[in-house]
Amino acid sequence: MSHKKKRSPNTHNDTWVVVAADSAVEAPRRKDGDPLLVQLRNPCTGVASLYMFGSDDAHLYEVKAFNEDCHSWFIGQTVHRDGRLLYITPVDPLYHLLPYLIKVAKEGKFQLLQQMVIDEDFPVCSRLLNCKETKASLGLVAEEKEVAGQKFYRYSQEKTMEWLKKKVDKTVKALKNSNISVGGGVKSTTYIRVNQECDFCEEDYLRYAHGLISEYISEDLSKDLLKHLQLPEVLSPNEAEPPSKKRKVSDKPVEAGEDYTKFNSTDFARKPPKKMTAAQKSLAKVDKTGMKIMSAFFSPKAKTEKLPLGWQLWEVSDSTNASPQLLQSQGS
Amino acid sequence: MSRSLWLMIARVKLLFFLLPERLLRFCLAFGFILLRMCSNASVITVQLGSLGQADKPQIHLLPCEIEHDGPAEVSRYFTPTVKDHKNEMSVSFRGRGLKGAEINCPQGYTGLVLKEDNKAASDQEDRTVRISSVFHRFTYWNLETKPNSDDGVVMAMTWPALAEAVSVC
Amino acid sequence: MDLSEFEADNSVSCRLASAVPDVCRSEDCCLGIDEAGRGPVLGPMVYGICFCPVSKKDDLKDFKVADSKTLTEDERETLFLKLDEAKDFVGWALQILSPNTISTSMLRRAKYNLNALSHDAAIGLVQYALDSGVQLKEVFVDTVGPAEKYQEKLSQRFPGVEVTVRPKADSLFPIVSAASICAKVARDHAVKSWKFRENLGDVDTDYGSGYPNDPKTKSWLLKYLDPVFGYPQFVRFSWSTAQTLLESKSMTVHWDDDKEDGEKAASRQKCASVLSYFGRSKPQGTAREPHRYFSERKLQTLDML
Repeated sequence: MSHKKKRSPNTHNDTWVVVAADSAVEAPRRKDGDPLLVQLRNPCTGVASLYMFGSDDAHLYEVKAFNEDCHSWFIGQTVHRDGRLLYITPVDPLYHLLPYLIKVAKEGKFQLLQQMVIDEDFPVCSRLLNCKETKASLGLVAEEKEVAGQKFYRYSQEKTMEWLKKKVDKTVKALKNSNISVGGGVKSTTYIRVNQECDFCEEDYLRYAHGLISEYISEDLSKDLLKHLQLPEVLSPNEAEPPSKKRKVSDKPVEAGEDYTKFNSTDFARKPPKKMTAAQKSLAKVDKTGMKIMSAFFSPKAKTEKLPLGWQLWEVSDSTNASPQLLQSQGS
Repeated sequence: MSRSLWLMIARVKLLFFLLPERLLRFCLAFGFILLRMCSNASVITVQLGSLGQADKPQIHLLPCEIEHDGPAEVSRYFTPTVKDHKNEMSVSFRGRGLKGAEINCPQGYTGLVLKEDNKAASDQEDRTVRISSVFHRFTYWNLETKPNSDDGVVMAMTWPALAEAVSVC
Repeated sequence: MDLSEFEADNSVSCRLASAVPDVCRSEDCCLGIDEAGRGPVLGPMVYGICFCPVSKKDDLKDFKVADSKTLTEDERETLFLKLDEAKDFVGWALQILSPNTISTSMLRRAKYNLNALSHDAAIGLVQYALDSGVQLKEVFVDTVGPAEKYQEKLSQRFPGVEVTVRPKADSLFPIVSAASICAKVARDHAVKSWKFRENLGDVDTDYGSGYPNDPKTKSWLLKYLDPVFGYPQFVRFSWSTAQTLLESKSMTVHWDDDKEDGEKAASRQKCASVLSYFGRSKPQGTAREPHRYFSERKLQTLDML
């Protein structure tokens, strides 16, 4: 009786069903303190993802969507086609600050936070500095120096590893208290799970927790953390490919010059591979700025137009059957 | 926002010494366009003041996609036909049998329906959403089988608790 | 005929039965099976059995029972009352299959077609008679489908009972005529006094015959079509008449078991990634697969609302 039915695209969505942490929607104290949904650079992937600054910027939240095929909502006396359920859950702003700290770490200098946390693609990232956790716990990933009432910071790999290890430990604890199946990896969806917690070994928990934490940090940090946890690296077929060169390029300190050029990160992952004049650099920056934001906002039709190189790379990464090489060159 | 603007102006000053004027103008114009786009389009204000007017409707998550957004006669066709015998909820929709279960929002979490009244005509405009409804539980409907712990949405509900461990110090 | 038990919940299947005459527990009996309301797009389908001692077959003939379709509604009502009053040697039982049962069965993931549904209803009624102590020797069944297979199925299921499956059995065997009268009367009552579980207010009851080609039925189906819900449970959604109307006049609904050929499914997936609004598109530039905690829970990162 069921027929082949064409599915029309859902283009005019104006309603979202959300499950949000109560703290995110507390009554703001400031007049303009309403929560803000913003795009920030995803510390894991380097691309724009959706986050929320809670009331008065007090905390940062991430937005994830339960997105299963074939769902819709009845909300009171309405039907809402988009059957996704969005989760707004707290996320440690330190995850987001780390890439900025690491980016300037090679300079070895102590710097003001507001000098380091600058991103012309995501100017809203400066709000991260307002979050309570930022002030309270930046010392967990950086060395602090106070001069004339101002605090200067320098990224510390050792501190960061310890901090991340604590996160892993906490996650392991949470996993043990849950019914989440951490062993064995892939399970078929029809597999009926029995409570077999005791069958999972400590390493299963540790690896699972490491995998979860890795969703919030760069690939390099993820690998370092694995070593720090004394877990041998397991190469999955995907990971067996040569590592991305992009990231290495990005680790090069940006040439020192005027203050602002030092902080002009366009991307953690991507940098112009060749030496450029300041003017060329500025232009390259401009290009990329457009490319990132536009790729997130423009309709797919725009994609058929001739695009600069960077655009094409984004294109490739958007389609699922892209060759691994292209994906690699695009960086993670 | 203001910092970026300052940055942009500073950079323009620098360029002034290095670039021919025409290129400079181009950079200036293009830069501002991009600045507007990235800073405005990516910010959506959640108007908490709307919370007071939010309704508390019954919410159902269906095991099918209905290609429609808008009014539905839920209380005429659906709600009166829902059966709830000894924690076994059942109903039918479009001639197909559904089995349901109540799902509660996790502790410390509230269900909200966000609504954007005037979807910005262009990407350059600020966006705002209001809270049109609040809920603490909803009914999840499965096609023919009783909802169980292996269902996606039931599993997804474990996320907030784990997120606290993964994300928060 | 008292249908209150069915009317208490007309969304499910319901069995109604007379008392079993003592004589049927001690003497060899014959039993007839017939159905009513197989074709209509509205209302329940009713399966009926009637049984009496083989020795009383002629008494049944004296009632002048005949194929229910050749009788007027009044004649059927009168005949049913007569049968019901002959409590000392005639028993009957009915299985009312609600339209909702029919819809949800036929549209089930693992399809349950109308023939299987009918056979199971008939088998259930015969089993009920046996369980009630009726000494069954002969069973006569009216059928619309191929008789041989059905006869074989019933004979295997009920060894020791002589089964006769015959087209037009309702005009050939009085016990089948009696069963068809019981079924038809129940079906008519159920349709006439249908209590809509939906809040539809005063519903126009000018359904016509309920057959898809009846103009009255057609216009009723148009009048009560809701763009989201389709129809009240009174309508059999699995009928092609209803399906066709829904396809043209209501919102399209997709189920995860909708049949799609591979090509279409592929193009739809492509469509979903390219054409759908941005919030739905996958995060771009992700080289690493999301952790299985998230993929198993269908949890995705968003890039925009």
